[in-house]
Amino acid sequence: MARARNVIRWLLPPDHWRLPVIILAGFLVGIAIYAFYVSNAGSYLSDSPQTCVNCHVMAPHYTTWFHSSHREHATCNDCHVPQDNFVNHYVNKAQDGLRHAWIFTMRDEPFVIRIHEPGMDVVQQNCLRCHEHTNHRVSAFEGTVAKARAGEQKLCWDCHREVPHGAVTSSASTPYTNVPLPESPVPEWLRSMMGESDASR
Amino acid sequence: MKTLGKRIEEQPWIGWVIFLITIIVVFLAGLFTYTIVERRTEAQFVFQPATDLDPYEPRLEEWGKAFPRQFNTYNRMADTTYVSPTLGAPKADLLDENPNMVILFAGYAFSRDYNLARGHYYSVDDVRQTLRTGAPMEPEDGPMPATCWTCKSADVPRLIAEYGDDFYAHTLAEMGHEVVNPIGCVNCHEAETMQLRISQPALVEAFERRGKDITDATHQEMRSLTCAQCHVEYYFGQDNKLIFPWDKGLEVAEVEEYKDAIEFADWIHPLSRAPMIKAQHPDYEIFMKGIHAQRGVSCADCHMPFRTEGGVKYTDHRVQNPLNNISNACQTCHRQSEAELTRNVVSRQQDVYEVRERLERALVKAHLEAEFAWNEGASEEEMEPVLQKIRTGQWHWDYGAASHGGAFHAPQEMMKIYGNGLDYAQEARLELSRIAARFGHTDEIPIPDVSTKEKAQAYLGIDLEQLQREKDEFLQTVVPEWLRRADERHRAWDAGDEAPSQF
Repeated sequence: MARARNVIRWLLPPDHWRLPVIILAGFLVGIAIYAFYVSNAGSYLSDSPQTCVNCHVMAPHYTTWFHSSHREHATCNDCHVPQDNFVNHYVNKAQDGLRHAWIFTMRDEPFVIRIHEPGMDVVQQNCLRCHEHTNHRVSAFEGTVAKARAGEQKLCWDCHREVPHGAVTSSASTPYTNVPLPESPVPEWLRSMMGESDASR
Repeated sequence: MKTLGKRIEEQPWIGWVIFLITIIVVFLAGLFTYTIVERRTEAQFVFQPATDLDPYEPRLEEWGKAFPRQFNTYNRMADTTYVSPTLGAPKADLLDENPNMVILFAGYAFSRDYNLARGHYYSVDDVRQTLRTGAPMEPEDGPMPATCWTCKSADVPRLIAEYGDDFYAHTLAEMGHEVVNPIGCVNCHEAETMQLRISQPALVEAFERRGKDITDATHQEMRSLTCAQCHVEYYFGQDNKLIFPWDKGLEVAEVEEYKDAIEFADWIHPLSRAPMIKAQHPDYEIFMKGIHAQRGVSCADCHMPFRTEGGVKYTDHRVQNPLNNISNACQTCHRQSEAELTRNVVSRQQDVYEVRERLERALVKAHLEAEFAWNEGASEEEMEPVLQKIRTGQWHWDYGAASHGGAFHAPQEMMKIYGNGLDYAQEARLELSRIAARFGHTDEIPIPDVSTKEKAQAYLGIDLEQLQREKDEFLQTVVPEWLRRADERHRAWDAGDEAPSQF
């Protein structure tokens, strides 16, 4: 505590600087809050599939899932995030999330987005998690990516190739699809203050 | 240790450096948030169908700009070449194929002309071309009311919004220039959300009279109810208002009970003098009695199955005979081969048709024998119960025969309908033979040769050539004028001077 107080005391500006510092610090915090708001950052704590289309490059994956039988039973996170324990769940989510945020911000996303190896392991484990009652006689049981790479096993989607995102996915594979992409962040009250009606949006 | 503040007081340049660093940080943070906003804004341009559609836009090609796949598959309905072992889609003269119907519909327009409808794509053309709609050279000419258009066009939701019930009070010809677009998008979809919707007031009202709210329907139910907007039994009530007679139920006897209660007759049969009811096409009613409906399958599941193109999964808008698309329509659920599935369908249909033909022959004879009895001098009193049986028997026949696909949708229901119908028809004939016997005829009652369409129509005195001449003139003079006026209206919409929902 004392240390923290010392640091703060060390940071405190001279009296005649205090006002400009308060204002500037406000700018910094404000812009950080704005970044948080405009990127829907809070939604990343949820399991809603809508969060995944915060980035529109995920629209083909969202819509193919939405038109699949998995829609009724599994969200994006049910398959793509570890479900074995709480810590693993959020650590993985944070890692993947930051990686995706970086790629999206840097405009580095490929035209055809393919799952990378750590992600495959997660999905494979989640296939087994739900389907083990029905597939315990199938050799894919206990399958891991490492075993598959060694030629000892198959992964579920080596056979179930269209589950659930279809055989063809790329950023151009689902034109005209209707997914709940984020709408304009301008709140309704501000919009109406600016005299803009719903229709002109 | 000196505080930062003290040091800045001593060396002000430190303060300026911090100030500069802050500027750079805020500047970069601003740029960063802008990249977020920029990518968010992209989302408002990609993957957003351009659906700036008027809620009553009747033209398919306007909707097609935003929904090319649905539009393209819809347009494939222009191809009517597929013919299943029992049913086709190309134009066919059903009276020629089955002359019995000339006698059954004697005195009614169906005895002149009864063509197989060619599907949604041709819905407006088929109405203009059939001899049943006559040749109205002037707007006020009959014989048909505007109600006949109700199920035939994407222009109708707009016209009903404009005129309300008064729409039905017009003649067919008065609305001729308004109704030019075939059954289309707006009949089943909301323009803004593309949600399925009911645009047919008669269906909403029929639900209300049964104490149900159609807006409670689930999406899967809507995938059948949108079809039930038209593929149902109906009649024209006061001022030709379209009404679905479902108040007592949807079964053949319940609908008849409803029509009996209001003493409804479509026409008086000129041979037997029976007060007849024409069944329309109780497709939905009979489908609902079948196993597919009972297992929650909707019309669209088989007649508009999903298909995929690239990553897009969408509903095939070529509404057609599922036998022409077995892999998507049937094999999603049934693992049997195409040949076996076709065999299963056709065998059910043929079994049902066999009983239908027996009923049909019995009814033809009943009408002609009743005519004989009248000619012999039978009294109204003794004929009355016979005529009721003929009415009920033919109602049963028609309820089945007019139902598209009923023989497959619910074969057991169809067998019940035809079986009961056959009993009514033969009961009537039994009575007639007793009446004939009273006049000294104990042999088979003699009936004329009506075995072909020509012979049957000649017997009834129908001059087909004259009717066709009038029709041709109508098609060559009146229809082009309708189309010209429609074209003018469409151009005004395109120019923005008017809009479909401005009236």
